[in-house]
Amino acid sequence: MKSLLEAQKISKSFPGVKALSDVSIHLAAGSIHALLGENGAGKSTLIKIITGIHRPDSGELLLDGKPFHFNGPREAIAAGIGVVHQERNLIPRFSIGENILLDRLGGSLLKPIDYDSVYQEAKHWLDLLELDLDPRTQVSQLSVAKMQLVEIAKALSLQSRVLLLDEPTASLTSHETVALFSLLKKLRNDGVSILFVSHKLEEVQEICDTVTVLRDGRNACDSQPMTNLGRQDLVRLMIGRNEQIPNADLRDHSTAEPVLELFEVATELGHANINLTLRKGEILGIYGLVGAGRTELAKSIIGRYRVTQGDVLVNGQKARINSVADAIDTYSIGYVSEDRKQEGLILIHSVLDNASIPIWKRLAARFGILTDKDVTAAISPLVNMLEVRTPSLQQLVGLLSGGNQQKISLIKWLAANVHILIVDEPSVGIDIKTKAYIHELLRKLSDEGTSVLLITSDLPEMVALADRILAMDQYRVKGEIVNSRNYDEMSEKIMGYIHSSKG
Amino acid sequence: MNARILRYLQSDWAGPFLIIAIGGGAIALLKPTFLSAFNIQVLLLAISVNAVIALSQMIIIGIGQMNLSVGAIGGLAAISFAGMMQVWELPPLIAAILALLIGFGGGLANGFIIARTGISAFVITLASLSIFKGINLGITKAQPFYHIPDSVKAFGNTVMFDPIPWLVLPMVVTVLLVFYLLTRQRVGRYILAVGGNLHAAELSGISVKSTIMWAHAISGILAAMAGIMLVARLQLGQPSIGDDWLILSFAAPVIGGAVLAGGHVSVAGTVLGVVIVAIITQALVLFEIDPFLVQVVLGGLILWAVGINRLREVRFQKSLKRI
Repeated sequence: MKSLLEAQKISKSFPGVKALSDVSIHLAAGSIHALLGENGAGKSTLIKIITGIHRPDSGELLLDGKPFHFNGPREAIAAGIGVVHQERNLIPRFSIGENILLDRLGGSLLKPIDYDSVYQEAKHWLDLLELDLDPRTQVSQLSVAKMQLVEIAKALSLQSRVLLLDEPTASLTSHETVALFSLLKKLRNDGVSILFVSHKLEEVQEICDTVTVLRDGRNACDSQPMTNLGRQDLVRLMIGRNEQIPNADLRDHSTAEPVLELFEVATELGHANINLTLRKGEILGIYGLVGAGRTELAKSIIGRYRVTQGDVLVNGQKARINSVADAIDTYSIGYVSEDRKQEGLILIHSVLDNASIPIWKRLAARFGILTDKDVTAAISPLVNMLEVRTPSLQQLVGLLSGGNQQKISLIKWLAANVHILIVDEPSVGIDIKTKAYIHELLRKLSDEGTSVLLITSDLPEMVALADRILAMDQYRVKGEIVNSRNYDEMSEKIMGYIHSSKG
Repeated sequence: MNARILRYLQSDWAGPFLIIAIGGGAIALLKPTFLSAFNIQVLLLAISVNAVIALSQMIIIGIGQMNLSVGAIGGLAAISFAGMMQVWELPPLIAAILALLIGFGGGLANGFIIARTGISAFVITLASLSIFKGINLGITKAQPFYHIPDSVKAFGNTVMFDPIPWLVLPMVVTVLLVFYLLTRQRVGRYILAVGGNLHAAELSGISVKSTIMWAHAISGILAAMAGIMLVARLQLGQPSIGDDWLILSFAAPVIGGAVLAGGHVSVAGTVLGVVIVAIITQALVLFEIDPFLVQVVLGGLILWAVGINRLREVRFQKSLKRI
């Protein structure tokens, strides 16, 4: 079949990480094409390259057989490529209708915008998705799922020839998903080429005709017909490196003393009835989809957001953690952020300064003043132990690779010698070798008595590392599973808990 | 019925409106001269010019930036207006149009540099403030232009009918145009869209750069407008026009409910914010309180308004996070 949109041998590097290398994909008119891969495999990067948000380092993009390159989303839209990104992109204080038709509001200097016709047209697209919403409603009043549907309606309203959907069903109910799928099938019959990114393999197998799988920024397969591939084949293509994440031994901590306990905790962010027990030397995993409230829970535990109800116990004693400083200084809890560039590190400061921030207070308190010598003495052994590749301790962290940056984020808390370490998405945007190293390190730390709360969307990573796994969804803990290190069994159980509430 | 009252109370202008009603009432009770025709005329003169100044800043707040050069652009337009009438003997209307063009050009230059370089508007307008003010002083040698045509003087100092001064007319027209711009014109909606979520606006196919340029150009025109009105009111082209606009230009939109992060401003609220500032200034004069207190009260008012808006914004963000 002839391709409508083609990407040939696309490569793209970001500072410190190679996001895509020689990735190809062929989208045919009148077909739904699945794009699969684990988190960090490069799916979103590929979409952003096609729509002109990123520029490829090498490789070629072809539309109707002709090479093209967009200088931004405007040109992509003009060329008939509509996209729903993974993150929500709406103007919160604008109405649904205005958001859908934002770039086509009409009107001129003397002719005001005709809102009646804007709302009328918006209504048409909402109806197609069987969405019973008033287009005059302000977007800020919608739930996340409804916002996602409004964005899909917005992409549809462009009547594009190519429609790129990055995890469109992540927060939808099954009813909403069914309505979306029947519409996608109709669009396919009208000749639209649809690229569909999803983690839910059942969905992918249900509606997709062809599939491309990315793994660590490379093609694991390029535009294969779906009919030849079973669920197991897809999983193998996506993960494909069972041997590279060696499973840890099964450990049982049920008799170890609890170090962190949450009883019926509710937070100002909307968590409710959260119960969990983290025992000494244990790795407790929290798994959930984007928006499940995992990071938010971690930040509530460390005092960034307020716990409004319930009890938090540290080492069996009732704890009042009112600020992040409390968490670190009084209760010895460290948090490695999922967003190391924004929250984890100060990119324009040196390795030494970044790694030592949590211990400044301790070092300065002892001597009254802080000297480079003391700080270096504390940090240098750790930098050597973790094999951080940096020319010197004075090197700016922003110039290190993603993997080495992540090591610095961990060193911060190793230096502070925390008893409880909360690690949020530890292997996003880092290379496989460092990922394996960090896994090993976390296991070693826990063996030595540090208790680890592990948040990750990477299921193989979760299964390889955690001793127990909590499944979280919609700011609630849905269930607890003792990890058997059996990927299929764990995956089924976790997804069972997560989807149990959605009807 | 109750729901409707509640909705009015939650709107941006309800708070300022209540303050004006209660505060104005209280002052009138204590000092009946507050409501004299002369006093109202003085109030309206101040409000007319200040409202246009505030709208000039409000547009930039709407896009999520700041314009420190509002006063410098207004001042440059003002002395140009006066100078063109005195030195070149241009008719007032032509001089006014050229002065507005100077404001447009100054604003556009701000917007162009901000959009092109991506440097924060705060820094760029801080630099351009100095440049515009320097040009102003270079032209005037710090001396005012005195020869203002009688028609212009009359426009700034006589009443249409008691106690409504002529200056109210350009203010009302400007307010209506800005309202129309922000609610019914594409450019206005884009300004608020970019202020509300720059990333989303860009991904929707809006040209963020040209929207920023437009916002600053419009802000420049409004600043020039205020400058021209002030020349008419003062009856001379004073080089110091615009020097004291900055605080007011932020205070009024913020009192009127503008979100400093951008994306939400209220034209009605801003005008009421100007009215509040005018009444307070007036009241301090009537009660013979030391004028330095005006500054203190104005500063306090900004802190209070920013605090209220912050509270509202936190609540709004929380409602966005709700599942």
